[in-house]
Amino acid sequence: MQIQIAWRNIWRNPRRTMIMLTAMIIGIWSMIFLGGMMRGMMVGMINNGISTLTGDIQIHAKGYRDDPSIEYFMPDLKGIEKTINKILPRGSRYTSRIRVNAIAANARHSTGVTMVGIHPVKEPGVSFIGPGAVVHGRYLVPGNNNGILIGRAMAEKFGTKTGHKIILMSENIQHDIASKAFIIMGIFKAEMQSTEKHFVFVTSSSARHMLKLAKGASEISIILPHHKGDKKITWNLRQAIPDSYEIHTWQELLPILTSYLKMFDGFMYIWFLVIFIAMGFGIVNTTLMAVYERMKEFGLLKALGMRPWLIIRSVLLESFMLLVIGTAIGNCMGFLTIHFLSITGINLTSLSAGAEFAGLSRIIYPVLYPKDIIMANVVVIGLGLVVSLYPAVKAARFTPVEALSHE
Amino acid sequence: MHRNCVECRDIIKTYHQGKICVHALNGVSLSIEQGEFVALAGPSGSGKTSLLNIIGGLDKADSGSVIVTGKSFENLSDSKLAKLRLNNIGFVFQSYNLIPVLSALENVEYVMLLQGVPAEERYERSIQILNDTGLEDKYNSRPAELSGGQQQRVAVARAIVSNPMLVLADEPTANLDSETGMGLLEIMKKMNRLKKVTFLFSTHDNMVMDFADRLVLMKDGEIVGDKNKV
Amino acid sequence: MKDKLPIDLKMAWRNIWRNFRRTLITISAIGFACVLLVFMLSFQLGGYETMINSSVKIHSGHLEVQAKGYNDKQNIRLAIPDPEIIGKICSKLKDIVSFTFRARAFSMVSSGKKTYGAMVIGIDPLRESLVSTLEKSIRSGSYLKENDKNQAIVGSLLAKNLKISIGDDLTVLGQGKDGSIAAAVLHVKGIYNSGMDEFDRSTIHIPLNTFQNIYSMGNSVHEVVMIADSLKHINVIKRELIRNFRNHNIKGLAVLSWDQLLPGLRQGIEMDLISGIIFYILLIVIVAFSILNTFFMAVFERTREFGVLMAIGTTPGRLVRLVLTESFLMTVVGIGCGMVMGIIITLFFQFHGIDLGGSSAMLRHYGISGKLYPRLSFISLLSGPCVLFFITLLTSFYPAMKIRRLTPVKAMTYV
Repeated sequence: MQIQIAWRNIWRNPRRTMIMLTAMIIGIWSMIFLGGMMRGMMVGMINNGISTLTGDIQIHAKGYRDDPSIEYFMPDLKGIEKTINKILPRGSRYTSRIRVNAIAANARHSTGVTMVGIHPVKEPGVSFIGPGAVVHGRYLVPGNNNGILIGRAMAEKFGTKTGHKIILMSENIQHDIASKAFIIMGIFKAEMQSTEKHFVFVTSSSARHMLKLAKGASEISIILPHHKGDKKITWNLRQAIPDSYEIHTWQELLPILTSYLKMFDGFMYIWFLVIFIAMGFGIVNTTLMAVYERMKEFGLLKALGMRPWLIIRSVLLESFMLLVIGTAIGNCMGFLTIHFLSITGINLTSLSAGAEFAGLSRIIYPVLYPKDIIMANVVVIGLGLVVSLYPAVKAARFTPVEALSHE
Repeated sequence: MHRNCVECRDIIKTYHQGKICVHALNGVSLSIEQGEFVALAGPSGSGKTSLLNIIGGLDKADSGSVIVTGKSFENLSDSKLAKLRLNNIGFVFQSYNLIPVLSALENVEYVMLLQGVPAEERYERSIQILNDTGLEDKYNSRPAELSGGQQQRVAVARAIVSNPMLVLADEPTANLDSETGMGLLEIMKKMNRLKKVTFLFSTHDNMVMDFADRLVLMKDGEIVGDKNKV
Repeated sequence: MKDKLPIDLKMAWRNIWRNFRRTLITISAIGFACVLLVFMLSFQLGGYETMINSSVKIHSGHLEVQAKGYNDKQNIRLAIPDPEIIGKICSKLKDIVSFTFRARAFSMVSSGKKTYGAMVIGIDPLRESLVSTLEKSIRSGSYLKENDKNQAIVGSLLAKNLKISIGDDLTVLGQGKDGSIAAAVLHVKGIYNSGMDEFDRSTIHIPLNTFQNIYSMGNSVHEVVMIADSLKHINVIKRELIRNFRNHNIKGLAVLSWDQLLPGLRQGIEMDLISGIIFYILLIVIVAFSILNTFFMAVFERTREFGVLMAIGTTPGRLVRLVLTESFLMTVVGIGCGMVMGIIITLFFQFHGIDLGGSSAMLRHYGISGKLYPRLSFISLLSGPCVLFFITLLTSFYPAMKIRRLTPVKAMTYV
């Protein structure tokens, strides 16, 4: 009954209701849409960060993070792998790598790179590198002793192609300069051009050979199923693995990204609030108009003995219904927009250098987080009701005499 | 040549309200000479307001001819009609007469402003007419600060000030008590005598009917009586 | 008449205050959007300027003259053979505040204990200090002097990785311009920390003369780096330089501005600006719908009044003008208040800065240290409010046009 009356009341002035609904729909749609876009960017950035050799969790020898050179290697790889096998949940993947700074040179060019010695079979499940990333030539195979993968951007800069030679120079375990010639087996592409410029991949056996390392590796990178539970597992690992090792989550490994994400979160909620305030003025004004128009009606109801709080309740109920209709339609439109955009993704290729500068992927796939959707709806409906309280109280305060003499 | 101020022939007007047709005027003919002071009486729904609206050029008849102050309303555009009203006809309504944000003086001036009367002359004429209607101490009052009678007197002043040939008043006294109503009518009559302006006003108040020089009676969209008391 | 104000304007002004509360809310909505637009645009544009200026002072300068193709290939052989004549041209152009020469070569840098690849950059110490912030970013030891030979200053992270400190020796090993092996021992004179990790991890600076000796450069350099007096004059300088080169018959050189030298920065700014503009447009549209109801009400609740006005001879056109004037006045008052508030808030933060706290690691990435400062400019002050103004007026047209369809009788019988 109450609901029926409220429903009829909000449609007494269809145009006004429609205008207010439009404002609400655009508001909530923009919240969902922009939220989805921003989360999409964030997920893209995280995935980028994680798949560019970070992983969810990394293990290093103590000191490696400060000085990533070969002397801080983990000798007892077998022992650690045994321990982490026990701790990691089913579905996790991990690989070990040898990772040092090196100089890559050919006849005409030289540049600083990160040389990564990988296990060709285990690596593809952990990072972006794998047969799928190779655009020319072939991926590495185990036991390959002089093959190297270089990035597309580096190949362009060096003016080289598969089959040609690249010389890597780095410090070996005895602090001597080691250099070794490699044949370009394949050219890989990556999400970021900087990845294509800065990383070269060889097999871990050839890296060990070059650096005179008998056994062990520089880092272990772990991918958890669905990227979940990194903090707890890191804690468990820290308990189980001796103090001479360091274990970090991706948040600790990528501090810039982490602070970015924090700012995104804050910015998004501020944006929600701003949108709401813009809508809020409209909600207050429209509700006030509706209330003043019906002043006589409220006066009459009061004269008939209706208690003030019942008037407040009925005004709030009308606002609530309006808010629910608006948010429902806005949500649906938001979902649809996000759904269609997430099929194709939003291509930022024309701004790729800028996207890369900001750590974004070239293509953004919008993602919806339930907590953002809930937040947007709570902000609009909750605060919407709060601001409607003002006109509602106004309505309850009309005295019958004042109300009935109102023009 | 002696011309009638208002000359209506066989006016028919039908309103459509949803699916219901209301026959407001069923062939009304009426002539009013310049300078007459005419009351149009009848029960509510008899077509008084419709007739006034058509004579005033606010509404168009479905058929029949209307000639007011010598001009035919036929085939006149809205803006031509507005100009005609502005220069030849004054209006007084039952309520919502005045522009609430303008003072009494400004309300009166407003019409002359639309006519393009120079400021100096506008001011003098407004003061004069407000004095004539007994509002000499209310120049700067806003409508909300005036009593109902005073508001209607400003409305009359405004209707008169542009020197129209004809003033149409739709139930001008309906919202006033009888004493104030009579006061207003006396002012209207004074203006009628003073300026030779034709007055046509509707009413269903017997006292008002008695006050008029000529009484036209309407019922169900037709004129059922017309007596000249002078 | 004592009052010279046109009656329509007077009526409009009085009309908007007939419903004080509603007008106040409407004006607040416009003002709110206006404050936000002024502040956010100032904040964004100010941030860009900070980013550009701090980036150019570490990396590129506002403009660089290079040999054609050097920017893409960074090949040591692509050098400017006679930098002095370019220096002469530069010192004649008044918009160039300062300029310097640089030469660079990627080399192996070894401390005996450790070896890393790094960019060795030859600089003219005196001129460099007028162009970049290098001298100011020295954290220990001291900056290079005019007559220094075989001295080097090293990025802090590189120094840490090489495990060196002031007074230690460094060996650089690379390839000279003529293809010969370039090798030298250098003394570490100072260590700098620019705040940009990438820069501090991968660069060392040595005197230009020493560089030219080690790398067999002769008198040639790779870059002439310039600082302009204002971002606005960059294109003028560019044109002037090219004209002068033609006059002096200098060939094979390219003039690049910061946005070509740091394309990531420019596109990053564009992206941020585009997303900002999307936000603002959405905000304005929502505000427009929020206030559309007010404009509608202003028409509908006065329909009978309009009927009377039309009856006494006011043309519909004049009523439309009246209503539009009312909307215009509300918009102007709202935007006026919003701009004043926006200016106050922006100036406050322009003076005190905004501490983004937790995001400082990210800001360092962009070469910004500590606080961010919004910067009020004509563009940031006016562009947002202008768009707001037009959209609001556009909004008010719709209800106002409804008046055109009114007839006096319809209007007076309107309930």
